[in-house]
Amino acid sequence: MRELKAKLFQDLSDAVVDMDEEKAVETSHQVIDEGIDAYEAIEKGLAHGMDRVGELFDQEEYFIPEVLICSDAMYAGVEVLKPHLKGDEQGEKKKVVIGVIEGDTHDIGKNLVKIMLETSGFDVFDLGRDIPPQQFVDKAKEVGAHIIGLSTLMTTTMDGMREVVRILEETNLREQFKVIVGGGPISQSFADKIGADGYAANAADAVRLARKLVS
Amino acid sequence: MKSEEMTSLERIAAALQYQKPDRVPVAPLVCGASHRVLGTTYDKWSMDADLATRSLLAAHEIIGFDSFLTLVDLSVEAYDFGQDVIFPKTSTAYSNTNNPLIKTVEDYYKLKPVNPRETKRMGMIIDMCAGLSKARGKDTAVIGFVYGPLGVLSQLRGHERMFMDCIRHPEAVLQAVEVLTEVLIDYAKAQIEAGAHAVCIDTLYASGSIMSKKMWEKFEGPFAKRIADVIRDSGAVLLLHNCGNKIYFDVQEKWLHPVAISHAYPADDCVDWDEHARKWGKKIVTIGYSVPSDTAIMMSPEEIMEDCRKQIETFKDCNGGFILATGCEFPPNGNLLSAIAMVKAAKKYGKYR
Repeated sequence: MRELKAKLFQDLSDAVVDMDEEKAVETSHQVIDEGIDAYEAIEKGLAHGMDRVGELFDQEEYFIPEVLICSDAMYAGVEVLKPHLKGDEQGEKKKVVIGVIEGDTHDIGKNLVKIMLETSGFDVFDLGRDIPPQQFVDKAKEVGAHIIGLSTLMTTTMDGMREVVRILEETNLREQFKVIVGGGPISQSFADKIGADGYAANAADAVRLARKLVS
Repeated sequence: MKSEEMTSLERIAAALQYQKPDRVPVAPLVCGASHRVLGTTYDKWSMDADLATRSLLAAHEIIGFDSFLTLVDLSVEAYDFGQDVIFPKTSTAYSNTNNPLIKTVEDYYKLKPVNPRETKRMGMIIDMCAGLSKARGKDTAVIGFVYGPLGVLSQLRGHERMFMDCIRHPEAVLQAVEVLTEVLIDYAKAQIEAGAHAVCIDTLYASGSIMSKKMWEKFEGPFAKRIADVIRDSGAVLLLHNCGNKIYFDVQEKWLHPVAISHAYPADDCVDWDEHARKWGKKIVTIGYSVPSDTAIMMSPEEIMEDCRKQIETFKDCNGGFILATGCEFPPNGNLLSAIAMVKAAKKYGKYR
């Protein structure tokens, strides 16, 4: 059984790296049929695969198209395994509310950060794109988030990030949430200027930053 | 060289030929920001050739840059193929990717060519080239703009979907790229016939922050080459723009042989700008490399002057082959005094001896 389990986890991991959605689904069904723990299969199989994808991305072996297809394979497997998770099994995950600022619909960067954060063990609440500042704050309060992640590719929408920080300050919530920012025109100096807690230049950096801020 | 004071056109032409001009040419890529000079709204500016032309001319009068660039936004070509585009009053127009023209893989095969000269928005750019050329073409460089075929396709399909289709349905993507390429060839030609001295192709995806070199060489390199060849054959100068991180200079040189590239980051095979200037500075002219948001929104005029001085210093040994510019379009909401500071810096620190 132990060998079978290890093999299936490896297959799940490989299916993600090989961008093989069909294999990810098929192997996930096999995991359930064999009575293997779904949470462990996600952690040691699918998420392990995405970790490897992240490394390949860092090493410039994989690029955005490959990462997107790998994540599709991962999510397809997760969909099969999810109904079999036991309620108390996932433990308390750190929560991140993430989205693209109002007025901007460019969301590839945000989506990559979301994928990387999820596979790194964060519970991500993705608001999507074109999101008004108040909505970030409302959602963060609602779910008890640890981090609010803000993304934009346009200079005309950068001020929305400042607005989120301002709302948090005005409502005496600033200390409750860490605010991280990223996107094409964003820089560390902009993050400093608006009083954000951190800036990440890419998805891998965003995960490192998020881990640091909640540790 | 060189007279004491060249015209802007002579200055740009000299820099592009590695013949030291009187000073470093400067082009802050003020495009959409010009709508504020005449006090119109962005949505009107984005659809009206006459208004956009007058805005650019007025911005030129105030700022004094050395070249015009007819970039309106990246949805121009897609709009004319029927893509739903959103036109905000105070921000850049963009394709509504919630409602893409290419909704299914089959739709790639349904894409039909259009005649750019008879379209609303590509026609507008052609008219802008004509208007700018007529008004200032004798003394100031007029640079046309074409979004590369893969870029246009991403506006019609949505970036993420198109990237995944490149792996899952390569034949469908290639079929559509072929249709787009023929239209963009006509479009580039029309801009040159209207008076553009140069045409800039935006090869946005030739960058390590997006896709592999192998993928770019399959899906855009050979197609962009056909547009590049026509630009040269029509007597204009070929420029590229790519504001992505880890920009690929090597494969773009291999396929396109550009005279200059407008870029925001050093090439992917260089660790920093110093290395870039040493490795590429004498082969392909750099048009750059102020960080647009820092320059237009964050920095004081004094900080901009100093930043520009450093950039000029970095490329000082490139035989005059450097144009001081922002690495991407000057932010439409940026402080125009920042663009003026860039011009001042070129005049103060950019003199060649």
